[in-house]
Amino acid sequence: MHASPFFLSDVAGFLGGYYAFIAAMNGVFAFLLWRKYGQPGWAITWSAFAAAMMVLASLALSGAPSLVPALPDSVRNVVNALSGPVLYSLGTVALFTVLFIFRKFFVQSMVAWTILNAALVLMGLSMADQNFAAIVMKPDNVPIVGLVFLLAFFTWVATKQAVVNDERIARGEPPMEKLNDEKVLVWPDLVYTELICMVAVAAFLLLWAICLPAPLEEPASSVKTPNPSKAPWYFLGLQEMLVYFDPWYAGVVLPSLVVFGLMAMPYLDFNKKGNGYYSIAERKFAYLSYQFGFLVLWITLIILGTFLRGPNWNFYGPFEYWTPYKVEVLNNVDLNQMFWVQWLDMPLPRAAADAPWYSQLGHILLRESPGLVVLGLYLVALPPLLAVTIFRGMFAKMGFIRYLIMSNLMLLMLSLPLKMALRWTMNLKYIVSIPEISLNF
Amino acid sequence: MADKKKMSVAEILAAARSADGNGEKPAAAEASPPPEPVAEAQAETPPPAAKPAASAGGGRPSVSEILAMARAKKAAGGDAEAAKPAAKAAPKPAPAAKAAAKPAAPAVAAGKKGVQRDTASILAAARAASKPGPVSKAEAPPRPAAKPKSTTAAAKAPPRPVPPKPTKPTKPQPAAKKVAEEDRRGFLQIATGSFLAVGFTALSVTGGLFSLGLARFFFPNVLAEPPSKFKVGFKDGFPAGKVETKYVAQYGVWVVNGDFQGEQQIYALKTVCTHLGCTPSWLEAEQKFKCPCHGSGFYKDGINFEGPAPRPLERYAIRIADDGQIEVDKSRTFQEELGQWADPQSYVSV
Repeated sequence: MHASPFFLSDVAGFLGGYYAFIAAMNGVFAFLLWRKYGQPGWAITWSAFAAAMMVLASLALSGAPSLVPALPDSVRNVVNALSGPVLYSLGTVALFTVLFIFRKFFVQSMVAWTILNAALVLMGLSMADQNFAAIVMKPDNVPIVGLVFLLAFFTWVATKQAVVNDERIARGEPPMEKLNDEKVLVWPDLVYTELICMVAVAAFLLLWAICLPAPLEEPASSVKTPNPSKAPWYFLGLQEMLVYFDPWYAGVVLPSLVVFGLMAMPYLDFNKKGNGYYSIAERKFAYLSYQFGFLVLWITLIILGTFLRGPNWNFYGPFEYWTPYKVEVLNNVDLNQMFWVQWLDMPLPRAAADAPWYSQLGHILLRESPGLVVLGLYLVALPPLLAVTIFRGMFAKMGFIRYLIMSNLMLLMLSLPLKMALRWTMNLKYIVSIPEISLNF
Repeated sequence: MADKKKMSVAEILAAARSADGNGEKPAAAEASPPPEPVAEAQAETPPPAAKPAASAGGGRPSVSEILAMARAKKAAGGDAEAAKPAAKAAPKPAPAAKAAAKPAAPAVAAGKKGVQRDTASILAAARAASKPGPVSKAEAPPRPAAKPKSTTAAAKAPPRPVPPKPTKPTKPQPAAKKVAEEDRRGFLQIATGSFLAVGFTALSVTGGLFSLGLARFFFPNVLAEPPSKFKVGFKDGFPAGKVETKYVAQYGVWVVNGDFQGEQQIYALKTVCTHLGCTPSWLEAEQKFKCPCHGSGFYKDGINFEGPAPRPLERYAIRIADDGQIEVDKSRTFQEELGQWADPQSYVSV
C-alpha cells in the first residue's frame, strides 16, 4: 500500500465536487420524477440519496484526510487478492450472461439508475485510493472511463427498446419503430442536427484538450521500451490477445478475420426478422454472437488492458501498486513438449543437424502431430459435427458454403477464449509450434 | 425546345412547311444562330437595339407584312444582297422604323430558303433549332446563312460611310494608347521581367544546389549508428553469472557469462523480444529477462519460458580479438531453434 499523506488532501477537492455532482444529478432526477412523472415515492428515495451524497461531498470537502470517504483497507485487500485474469474473464462472461438472461429486469429505469449511482459511488470511494486514482485519473485513461459509462448507456438504451419490441411482438403488435414511422428530411433535419453535434463535439474536445493535456514522454528509443508499454486504447484488446498468441495470428490473422467476418455478416444472415427495429428474441443467435465478440472479447479486454495490466504486462488488482518487481509465475510449455516429454516421457523428435530437408520436415511434422491433429479436429471435424447437432436448423437454412464460412468464423472467434482458458488451466503456450518457420498457433 | 426533340419526322416536316407558309417560326429558329455575327458586323448599331431586332419574334409587324416586304424586295430588286443593305440603311436615318425594318433581313433569308427548301434541310434546321448546344458540321446550314450576311456587312460599308467611321477609329484608339503606354510600362515590364528572370534563376540554382546537398546526405562521411563490431573488454570483466547491461542503450546487447546446457560460456544476447520486438528488461532479483509489452520471459541463457515469445532470444557473433579483448559482431545472429548456438562463433568458452 503506497499512500502519500498529501494524496487524500489533494484529491479531496475533486471528490467533493464529484459527490456534489452526483447529488445534483439525483436532485434533478427526483424533481423530474415528482413533477413530470408523478412518482413521489421514488422522488423521495432519490432525494434522500442526493442528501446522502451531499453529506459525502461535505466530508470530502472538509479536506481532512481521515474524513474523506474511502473503501476500508480490508475490502481493498480482498479485492486485490481475488482479482486475476481468470476471475476477470470468467466474471465478464458471467456478467454478460446474467445481463442477457435477466434483461427484462435490468432495462427498468429505476434499476438502471440504481446501478449507475452505485457505480458512480463505488468509483468515488475507490478514487480515495492512491493506486486506483493514479490509473483512473491518468489523462490517457479518462476516455476509457467515459467509454465504460457511455457504452453501458447505449447498450442499455438499445436493449430496452428491444425488450419493449419483443413484448409487443409477443402480444401480436407491431414494434415501436413501425408505429412512429414518420420520415424526416435529410435537409434540414439531419444536416442541422449533425452540424450542431459537430460544433458541440469540437468545443468539447477543445475544452478537454485544454483541461487534460496529453502527457508527453521522453523521446522514443529503439533500445528502451517503457514499462508497461501500452498500445493506443483501442488496440489494447489486440495487445491482450497477443499475450496468448503468436504475433502473426493475433496481430494479423485475427484482426483481418474480424473485419472479414463483419463484412460477411449480411451475407451469412438468413434471418429476415428484426429488420429496421430493435429485437433480441427474434435474433438471439445474431445478437449473442455479436455482443459476445464485441462486449466480452473486445471491450472488456480494452478495460483489462487499460486498468489492470501493469509493468511487465502483469495483472494488478485495482488497488494494487504497480511495482515493476512483481513476481508472477507464468511458466508455460508447448503442446509438443507436453505430449512427448511429459506424457510419453521421451525426447522431442528431432532430426540430426545434417539430415536432408525432407527428414527435417518429417521430424517437425511428427513432433507437431498432436497439435496438428487437435487443430484439424477443431477446424475440420467440428463444423460437420455441429451441423448435424446444434446447428442442424441453421445448416439446413444456410446451405453448405455459407454454413462452413459461418462455423469457421465462429470457431476462430472462440479460439481466443479457448486458448486463454488453456493457458490458465494447463499452462499451454502453443498448440502447434514450428519456430523454424515462425508458425505458431 | 425539348418538346421539339420529341417530334416525329413527319411532324417536324409538317411544322416546318406550315411555318414556311406563315414564315414566323422557322425564321426565328434559323435566325437565332446568326444574330451574333450580325451584331459584330454592324458594330455601329447599339447592341441593345440589335438584339430585339435579331430575335425575329420581336418582329411585331405581322408575318404576312414581312413576307410581303420580302417578296416585294425580291420582285423589285431580284437581288437579296442589294435589298438588304437598303433595308439596313433605312433604319439609320429613321430609328423609329428600325424595329419594323430589321426583322426583314432574317425574313429575307427565310424567304430565300423557302424557295429551295427540301426535307433534309428542314430536318437539319429543326434539329439544330431543338439543340441549343454547339452545332456540328452536319448541322451547319444556319452558318452559311450567316456568312452571306457578314459579307453583306462588307458590302454595305460603302452606303454608310459616315456613321461607322467615327466609331471604328475609336476601337483602334485603345490599341494606339497601348502602344503609347508600352513605352512607359515597357520599363516596368523589362524591370519586372528581369526580376522574375533573376528570381527564377536564383530559385532553380538554389533548388539544384539544395537537391545536391540533400543527395549528399545519402553518402555521409560518418555513420551515426555505432559500428557493428565493438569490443567489450577482457574476459575477467565478466564473472560467472553476470549479465552486463551497460551495452544495451548504445548497442542493444547483453553480454552474459552464463551456463548453457552445462557449459559455461560468454555470449551476447540481442535485446529484441522474439514475440513482437520490444526490449525486455533484465530483472536481477528474478534472474530473468522480462518483456514489458506482452509479458514474455526468458532465462539468463535466453531460453523463453513464459509469455507468448515463441523462440529464444538471438545471439550475436562473439570472439576473442587479437588483443585478447572480447569482440561482439552484430552483423551475424545465431538462433537456438535452428541449432545455431552450437556454432563456436556464437560464444566464447570460459
